[in-house]
This record gives sequence, structure tokens and C-alpha cells, in this order.
Amino acid sequence: MAQILVVDDSSTVRNEVGDFLQKNGLTVALAVDGRDGLVKLKADPGIKLIVCDVNMPNMDGLTMAEKVRSELNNSTVSIVMLTTENSPVMKERGKAAGIKGWIVKPFKGDAVLPSFKKLVGV
Amino acid sequence: MTEQAQIVSKVLVLDSDADCFDRIKAFCDTNGLIGLKVQPDNVMAVLRSNLDLGAILLSEKYADNAQGGTGLARKIHAVRPELPIFLRREMADSLDDIVQRDRLLFSAAYTIDTISKLQTSIEEFIFSRSYPNALVRGITEIAIPALESQFKAMKVEVEAPYLVRDRLIFGEIFTLIPLESSWCRGYMMLQTEEDALMHLVKAGRTFVDSKDAYDFRNLNGLLGEITNLIWGAIKNRYLSSVREDVYLSQVPIIINNLHRYISFGSDNPQLCFKYTISDANDASFRSLVIQQKFVFNLSWSPEDFSENVVSVDELVSSGELEFF
Repeated sequence: MAQILVVDDSSTVRNEVGDFLQKNGLTVALAVDGRDGLVKLKADPGIKLIVCDVNMPNMDGLTMAEKVRSELNNSTVSIVMLTTENSPVMKERGKAAGIKGWIVKPFKGDAVLPSFKKLVGV
Repeated sequence: MTEQAQIVSKVLVLDSDADCFDRIKAFCDTNGLIGLKVQPDNVMAVLRSNLDLGAILLSEKYADNAQGGTGLARKIHAVRPELPIFLRREMADSLDDIVQRDRLLFSAAYTIDTISKLQTSIEEFIFSRSYPNALVRGITEIAIPALESQFKAMKVEVEAPYLVRDRLIFGEIFTLIPLESSWCRGYMMLQTEEDALMHLVKAGRTFVDSKDAYDFRNLNGLLGEITNLIWGAIKNRYLSSVREDVYLSQVPIIINNLHRYISFGSDNPQLCFKYTISDANDASFRSLVIQQKFVFNLSWSPEDFSENVVSVDELVSSGELEFF
């Protein structure tokens, strides 16, 4: 059972974010793209927060967020995008898909840890 | 109007005449060129290395070559046909008396007394494009913090931007990502040496686990993420969306692995930045060089360049969570 699902095609980012969260007492699952993210989310009902990249092969992060709500009918998991993208158009699409927030890379763990803990309820 | 950035280019000066060399150096200094001298025996070896050259200034009497400069020019042209060769002649700044076949080896001729005329050719063959100052400055403003975010306890330094006409690939790992905008279309590349990158991973200076350093895919991934960080920030700041109803042309990108050569189908020089990542406190620690190269081969309209306007509502610092 994991509390947070980190979805990023970059192994560097998965390591960086995953290691940081685990060192701070959170349990983490990893996925390599949106399609993998949907599989991992479906398999683990304990996941409370998804930290997700936008630009990924096979399935991008915004499409994954939309499918979490529509295909998996999961309206409770919080989704935060962690991406280099900063376009208002993309953010609007994210809002429409019910994502909770947006972080422009690079990842700064200390800046977001309190919010992440709040979102997973610890 | 966009202000032109101060960009330099390296030229190989193959001239044995000491008096002329000083005047050529003075010409280089006033025309944004960095003149590099090389021993006659090493010319071909240097040309096969990564010197990032913009052109060659060759004397027709270089090193008392029996064939004159033309013989060496043939050899240079065989290995680096993309490099313009400017021939210094003794009598007249003309190529007219050279046989037609050899004349094509040279982009222009000059004498030491008419070297100032070479300025036009330098502008035509090297500084053929002007780059908006804000863009050139902004690229390093974006790249340095991106690099700093991926290398722990390392400092990042950058040399003055420069133009190259050789299309050699530096190192063994390189990434390529498109840049698409209404005012430019092309690519950004990052190139580096695998061994130096592996050294930093093994030393625990990156977010890749040091025990995973021997898997080259992790090194690829690290350079990929750095590329992603820089590309994303450049896109957010400078690139506007391309109209969907406009036909977007493409050309094949050709890579010759044997010659470590990449062509984007255009003669335009590449805009290059060289970053050195080193330990701030330990000069003996092996540093890493990353070369960042831009080629705008598909479209270039710097007169339409502009920075994307960010509204006050969108001013959230990178790395911070913006709640919806």
C-alpha cells in the first residue's frame, strides 16, 4: 500500500521525488507513464495523492488525470502535476479534469512537503 | 527592432608569417573571432577534434607546403567541407588565377593589406544571423539553475556564446528536442561525455542512485531530464504557439555516427553554449562539460521575437505548489 503515486517517464525524477518522499516518512509507488499510472492506481486503493508529469510517452499526464475521473470513477484521489509546462491553456484543462494543483519543475521537496502531507492526511 | 547579442566564433588560423599573424589576430579581435593557432603537423588531428570552429584562415604559403595552401585546403575540405576557408594570398585578394576546381575550396581571398575586406565574408559565412540579446541571455539564465538543480554541490559556469559551422557531435550522449514557435522552428541539443557524467553519478552528485551509474540508460535519462527542464522553461518564456492552419515543413536530420556528425539540412551555423559543471571546493574533482546547441533550420524570424507575458496571477515560483 502506498500513499503517493509518482508518475514520470524520467527515472531521474522518479528517484528524486520518490526518495525524498520516502525519507520523509511517506510510502510511494512509481509509474513510468500515464498508462502505467492508471494500472498502478487501480491496483492500490491506498493511494491518496498522484504526483504526475505532463509530457510522457504512451499517455500524457493530463489524459491520465481525465481517465482517473472518467474511466476509473475515482473522484477522491488528489492529483498534482509536476511538469516543466506552465501554459494557462494546459492548466485550464487540468482544472477541468479536477486536478488539485500545479508545480513547475524543478522539484523542490521542502517547498511542497507540508502540502503533500496534508493531501494524504498525515 | 531586436538588439544583437555579442556572440563570438572560433577560427583556425593557419599562417606561418609572424607579422601577418599579429595583424590577423587584431582583425579577429575586432570582429568577434577567436583566432586559434595550431602546429602544422597537428592540423588534421585538430580538425577531427571538437574545437567548435566557425571558419579557417589559411595562408597560401602555410608551412612552406609544396602544394601551397591549396593542397592543405583540399585535405581540409575532404574532412570538414562545411567549414568556410578564407585564403590569404601574397599578391592579390582574388581567386581568379586558381583553377576552377580548386577555387571552389575557398569562400574568399584576401591579402594582409586588404584583410578588412574579409569582414563582409565573415558576416556572410559566420555571423549570417542575428540573435536577440534577450534570448541569448535568457538561455543561460534558464540553463544554469536547471543544471544546478540536477547536480549536488557543484557550480555551473558558462563561456561566452559562440557560433560553429562544423557539425560535430561532442561526447557520446546527446539529446535533441524540437523548438516550435511562430517566430522560430528548429532544435535544441545537449551533448556530453558519458564517462564524465558517470563519474558524477558514481560520486553521488546527482539524483541517480550511484549503484546505477554503470547502466548507460540512467545516464541517458539524466541528460534527458536536464533537457526537459531547460526546454520547458524556454518554451514557457519565449515560444508562442504555432498556428494550426499553417503547413509545417520538415527535413530529414542526418546523423553519421562514424564521423560524429549531424546535419539539419541547412548551412546555418549552430548557436552554442558550453557549460562546465565542477566542484566549487575541489579543483581536482573531475568536471563535466555540457554543450547546448541551437539550430533554427526550419524557420527564423527574429524580428517577431518576443517574451511571453506572464500575468501577476500566474507568478508562482518554480518548485512551489500552485493550488487550484
